Amino acid sequence: MSAAAQVTDSSFKQEVLDSEVPVLVDFWAPWCGPCRMVAPVVDEIAEQFVGQIKVVKVNTDENPSVASQYGIRSIPTLMIFKDGQRVDMVVGAVPKATLATTLEKYL
Amino acid sequence: MNTTSQTTQASDKNLELMRSFSESYAKRTDTYFCVDPSVTAVVIEGLAKHKDDLGAPLCPCRHYEDKVAEAAAAYWNCPCVPMRERKECHCMLFLTPDNDFAGEQQEIGFDEIRATTNHC
Repeated sequence: MSAAAQVTDSSFKQEVLDSEVPVLVDFWAPWCGPCRMVAPVVDEIAEQFVGQIKVVKVNTDENPSVASQYGIRSIPTLMIFKDGQRVDMVVGAVPKATLATTLEKYL
Repeated sequence: MNTTSQTTQASDKNLELMRSFSESYAKRTDTYFCVDPSVTAVVIEGLAKHKDDLGAPLCPCRHYEDKVAEAAAAYWNCPCVPMRERKECHCMLFLTPDNDFAGEQQEIGFDEIRATTNHC
C-alpha cells in the first residue's frame, strides 16, 4: 500500500511512543476509500520531512488495542506524537499542505 | 504481515446488492461518486463485506469497539444517520456536487469494483 512502515499493537510503544523524533501515524483500514487518497499524501510527507519525523501506519482492523486506546472513530485519522504524547490530530483526507503546516508546529 | 479475514472480498451476492443500492441511492439523493473510482469501489466492497459478516452494511470508514453491537445499533449502517440527515458521507461514497472530490458518475460496474479490490 505504501512505503511507510506498518506498526502493530505490540510495536506501537517502541516505534511511536519511544521515538526520538515526532511521529506521524496514519490510522487506516483495508476497505476505507478515503484512506486510499490519504496514503500517497502521507508518503509525500515522509519524503518531504525525511530525517525530521518518522511516518508509520496502523491497520485498525488488525490492531484494535491501539486504535481504541487513542479513541479512533472516523478513518482515516492522522495523529502526531511527540515525546510519547499525542499532540495533534487530523481527521479525513486532507491536502498535503494542510498536513505539512500542522506538522511544522512540532519540529 | 499476515493476511486476515478483514481483507478478503465480499460475496458476489452482497457486492451486487450494495453496488445496486449505491447507484440508486446516489441518484435518489442527487449525490455523485468520487472522481477517483477506486475510492467508490473499495467502499462498496467494504459495505458488502460487513453485510456478509454482520448482516448489515456497517460503514467501513470507522473503527468500532464492537462491530456486532454497532450493526445492531444501526446508526452507522449505510446510509448512516449523518448521510440521511445532512448528506454527510465521510467515506466519500456519496458526494454532493459542490464537493471538490465529486465526479460525474452515479454508476459503477461489478467488474469495475472487482478490478480494483482484487489488488487490495
